[in-house]
Amino acid sequence: MKDNAFLNDLAREGAIAFKSGRLDRRSFLMLCGLAGVATLAVKAGDAEAAANEIVMWNWGGESEKCHGDAIGKPFTAKTGLPLKFDTSGPLQGKIKEMVDSGKVTADVCDADGFDAIALGKSGHLEAIDYNIVNKQQIKEGSAWEFGVGVIFYGYAFMYDTKAFGDNPPKGWADFYDTAKFPGKRSLYKWANGSIESALVADGVTKDKVYPCDVPRAIEKIKSIKADSLYWGSGSEAHDMIVNGEVVMGMIWQNRGKTIEERTNGRYKMVMNEAIAMPGAYIVPRGNPAGRDNVMKFIEQALQVESQLMILDCLGMTPSNPEAFAKIPEAMQPYAVNSAQNIDKVIFNDPVWWADNGGDAVNAFLEAIG
Amino acid sequence: MTSRSSRFNPYWLLVAPAVLLVLALYVAPIVNVLLLSVTDPKPGLGNYAKIFESDTVANLIWRTVRLCLITTFAAVFLGYVVSYAMLHALSGVRRRMMSILLISFWISVLVRSFAWLMLLGHNGLLNDMLLSLGVISEPLPLMRNEFGVLIGMTEYMLPYAILPLLANMQGIDPRIASASRSLGASSAQTFFHVFLPLTRPGIIAASLLVFISSLGFYVTPAILGGGKVQMIAEYISVQLLVTVRWGVAAMLATLMIASVLALMYVLNRFMKLSEIFGGAAR
Repeated sequence: MKDNAFLNDLAREGAIAFKSGRLDRRSFLMLCGLAGVATLAVKAGDAEAAANEIVMWNWGGESEKCHGDAIGKPFTAKTGLPLKFDTSGPLQGKIKEMVDSGKVTADVCDADGFDAIALGKSGHLEAIDYNIVNKQQIKEGSAWEFGVGVIFYGYAFMYDTKAFGDNPPKGWADFYDTAKFPGKRSLYKWANGSIESALVADGVTKDKVYPCDVPRAIEKIKSIKADSLYWGSGSEAHDMIVNGEVVMGMIWQNRGKTIEERTNGRYKMVMNEAIAMPGAYIVPRGNPAGRDNVMKFIEQALQVESQLMILDCLGMTPSNPEAFAKIPEAMQPYAVNSAQNIDKVIFNDPVWWADNGGDAVNAFLEAIG
Repeated sequence: MTSRSSRFNPYWLLVAPAVLLVLALYVAPIVNVLLLSVTDPKPGLGNYAKIFESDTVANLIWRTVRLCLITTFAAVFLGYVVSYAMLHALSGVRRRMMSILLISFWISVLVRSFAWLMLLGHNGLLNDMLLSLGVISEPLPLMRNEFGVLIGMTEYMLPYAILPLLANMQGIDPRIASASRSLGASSAQTFFHVFLPLTRPGIIAASLLVFISSLGFYVTPAILGGGKVQMIAEYISVQLLVTVRWGVAAMLATLMIASVLALMYVLNRFMKLSEIFGGAAR
C-alpha cells in the first residue's frame, strides 16, 4: 500500500513537472514506466487535479464510505473538487513528520481535539478561516484557532447483563468497585478516558475533572490492576467484551451501539459519565489543495445534513448545535450530544491533554505495565 | 608483506557500488534518526539520563531483556529437541518435518497471535474443552498476560532456533557417536560428553539469533499481553506517534542497536561469526 502511494506520487509529480516544462517528455515517459502507470492514466490534466482535490486522512474502515457520502458528495457537487482518502490513521507523530519533511500529501486530518491544540502550538497546522467556517455551527468551546471539533465520540462502558442484570452498574464508581461488581475490566491503553474515569470513580465531581490529578487517577487505576486488561483498538475492545474476557469494558460509544445490537442487548452500554471527545478536523501546514478549498470542505462537514449522516453512518455525534434536536429517536441513547446525554457526559479538555497528555500517557503505561 | 597488504585491492571497486548504496540509503538515514536522541527536545544527554532517572524506562528495558532471555532459553531448548529428532528421523519424515517448519515460518505473526487467542484464550478451544469436561470451573488465564506473550514469542522463534541447530548437527560426523559407543560410553554419556559439546556453536548461534530477533517483538506482546506487557518496540512506537517524544524513541532505538552490535562483538571475540552463520569455514 505504501509502495502504491509512492508510485502514484511519483507519477503525479512527474506529470506536474512535465506540464510545467521542468521535465522532458522522455523522462516523463520513463517515470511512468517505472511507476507502472500507463501514460494515458496520468495525463497532465489529471496531474493538475492533484492540487484540485481534497485528500482526507482518516482511519479507514467504514469511515471512508461514510465521509465520502456525508461530506464528499455535497462538497463535490458544490465545488467540483473530488474527495480522496488516505486511510492510514493521522497520529500526531505522523502529521508532524509529514509537515517537517515538506512533503504534505493530505489536506484535512480526522484527528483529536488535543492534536489540534498541540500541533497548532508547534506550528504544524494551518489556522482555521472563520470567514468560511461558521463558528455558530460548532459546539461552544470546540472552535479552536488551528482546528474544528466537527464530531464527538465518547468513552463509555458496557457490562454483561448475565452478570449484573438485576443490579446494573450506573457509573465509573461501580466500574472501579470490584467488591460489589466482581470480574475483570478493560480500559483504553493510551490513557484517554481512562484517567478521567478513574478520577470520577474516586469521587471527583464532573466539573473538577480538569486539570486532572494524574497521580490520584493512577492510584485508582492501580487499585483494579490485577482485574484489568487494556485495549488498543476498537475491535480489541469489542472482542474482550463479547468473548467474556471481561464483565465490564470501556468502549467507544459508537462501537458500543453495534455490540448492543449484535448481541440483542446481552451487553448493555452505560452512557452516564461517559467522556466525550471532540473529533477535530485539522489542516497540515502547506496542504496541497490550498487553504480556501479545505476550509470549504470543513464548512460542509458542519452542515446539519452532513452531521446527521455521519451520526447515522459512523455513530459519531454532531457538533453543530442546530443538529442536536434533530438526532433521531433511535440514536438518542447513544449520541453524546443528545438531550438525554448531554448533561450526563464529561467533555474532554483538549488544552489540558495537549499540554499534559504525553506525561499522562507515560505515567499510565508505567502503572499498567 | 606490509607492502603487499597496503596496496590497493582492485576488487574493492566491484564491491564499492553496493557499499555506497548501503551507506547512502541505509546507514545515513539511520544515523540521522539516532542523532535525534541527543538533539531532541534539546541538545545533550538528557534522554540517556532517563535510563537512570525514570523507572518507566528502566522497567521497560528490564522487562524486555527478561522476556527475551526466557524466550531464548525456551526456544533453543525446544528447538534442540526437534532438531535432534529431525537429525535422526528417516529422510522422508525429516522432509515432512522440514516443510511443516517452513510453512509455520512463513505464516504472519499477526495470524499466529490470533490463532493463539483462539486456542488458549478465555473462550478458546482448550478452555472450552476443559470446562465441558469439568476439569476446571473457571477458564485458565493462559492469554492476555506475560505467560501468553511468552508462549507466542517462543512459538514464533522456534524456526529461528531449529534451522541453525539442525545445520550444525548435520555437520557432525555420525561416526563420532559410533566411535564413542564402541569405546564403551553409554548412550547418555555419548550424548552429554560427545554430541552436546560438538553442538555448542549451533546452540550459541541459535541463542544469539533468537535473542536478537526477540528484542524487536511488537505485535505479539501487544495482542497477547492484554496491554500490560509493554516491550521496547511498542514503547518506541508510542513515543513516536502518540506522545511525540522522538528523542526518547531515538534513545531507545540507539540503545537497542548498540546492544545488538555489542553482543555480536563479544561473541566474535570467542568464535568466528562467519562460522556460526554458515560461512566459508567448512
